[in-house]
Amino acid sequence: MDNEIISAIESKFPKEVLSSASEDKKILLTVKEIKFHQILSNLKDMGFDHLSDVALVDYINEGEFELIYHLWSHSKKIRAIVKTRIPRESPRIKSIIDLWIGAQIHEREGHEMFGVEFEGNPNLTPLFLEDWEELPPFRKDFDIREYVKREYYGEDKGYFG
Amino acid sequence: MERTKGILAKSELEEREISFTTIPFGPQHPASGHVHVSLKCDGEEVVDLTFHPGYLHRGFERLMEYRNHAQNSMLVDRINVLDPFSCEMGYANVVEIAAGIEAPQRGKFIRTIMAELGRIQSHITWLGIMCMALGLDSGTRIAWGDREKIIRLNELATGGRIYPCYFIPGGVRRDLPQGFKEEALKALDYTENQVKLYDNLVFYNTTFVMRLENVGILRPDDAIAMGITGPNLRASGVVADVRKDEPYDAYPYVNFKVVSLEKGDAYSRALCRRGEIIESISIIRQLLERIPEGDFRVKWGLTKKVAKGEAYFCCEAARGEFCYHMVSDGSERPYRVKVRAPSFSQNLAAFPYLAKGAYIADIPAIYWSLDSCPADMDR
Repeated sequence: MDNEIISAIESKFPKEVLSSASEDKKILLTVKEIKFHQILSNLKDMGFDHLSDVALVDYINEGEFELIYHLWSHSKKIRAIVKTRIPRESPRIKSIIDLWIGAQIHEREGHEMFGVEFEGNPNLTPLFLEDWEELPPFRKDFDIREYVKREYYGEDKGYFG
Repeated sequence: MERTKGILAKSELEEREISFTTIPFGPQHPASGHVHVSLKCDGEEVVDLTFHPGYLHRGFERLMEYRNHAQNSMLVDRINVLDPFSCEMGYANVVEIAAGIEAPQRGKFIRTIMAELGRIQSHITWLGIMCMALGLDSGTRIAWGDREKIIRLNELATGGRIYPCYFIPGGVRRDLPQGFKEEALKALDYTENQVKLYDNLVFYNTTFVMRLENVGILRPDDAIAMGITGPNLRASGVVADVRKDEPYDAYPYVNFKVVSLEKGDAYSRALCRRGEIIESISIIRQLLERIPEGDFRVKWGLTKKVAKGEAYFCCEAARGEFCYHMVSDGSERPYRVKVRAPSFSQNLAAFPYLAKGAYIADIPAIYWSLDSCPADMDR
């Protein structure tokens, strides 16, 4: 069944699917960003009704962010992992809240922690951080040790230092 | 004439705005936990709400990038205070997949036993808080007293009451102590007896039933669209359980049924958790009966380097799907770990959806019937 889904997607988007693999009820697809929304929409129509997670990885040396969409099908009992990459400079990608309403908060978190713009998401206000003016904290170029030293052990912060 | 109409319309609107009252729910409210919700109310009815999470945000995903796998297996405990074994279960397994090692059979059985004890403990704690939210104070005291039996078993096996730091990649830190089986069976018998008491005192108590029945109804298609998992989804009639769908560790060797109800209201969610306590007791009894002799872990240096690559693992925590996505760059530390915690969707998607249109008096009942853990949500 896994291979049927992969071949269906590959025949529909022959140029956009960069690589595919399947193992033990798991499907892995790496796709181009330009058609990722249509591919996810197709997967949803095939029964992947549960969006489990949206993960972001910062590949700073390659200058790219990777977005990983974890899907699960309640009817087929199969997991699908769809990956796509976007440039690190002014990162923006289309929102998927029109497919899964639950994506709204995952994208909000991604915007807060990595600074990725999700086009079409109406509410991207910060979730966890209050009055944050530094770089988004989960980016690799944000140094938490330097930040802690400066913020809590600085010269004017005699209380801890 | 037109002008006056316009002015009138505006003042009417203003009057209506003024009639909304904003009521803070948490973070110091005894029945909210560490979250703050601003409820915008029209009289007794909630018309809108703003959720302010972040009181327990510690940035674990980032902290883990600075630590090796031995340190991380202790750090992940703190993601969910009430259900730490599931957090450890996920992390131990995801590192095992990435490093290409497998825990021995005895290690897997011990992990599953402890994870199920954690589930019972988490559900009993939930029962106590649920009673507190509804004003059934004796239920709170009794449930939290019973939780102590399981906590003592944790201490006996791991040395830690709340944070066990017990599961490591490749098995468990140490073997079960002498006499654990007898103690565990005693505690399970006690818990099973106490469930009968909970039935009379709480689950079939008129107050409890009337406060929860037909409150906060979550339809299955909405629940799936919002990404709800675990007992909350099963109470809405969707049979989905990672333990059955993708069995891991010792779950392939036990018989159990997935508890699911149809209605999807707060009362079904409560009954679903009651059913899961009974099922978990039966799972642990089966595992204690069949636990094999042998090694409890493989020798794997915990500061060893993990090959470059990615791994993904999902387990069923007390609150639902608990998943890890780990990227390794070939060093002894992970390059990136993404934690999928069940309370994130429950609190930030399902709770605002259910609270809109509900009465203020039902808000604690709805909130706690979802059994969200703020530590789990903020990470």
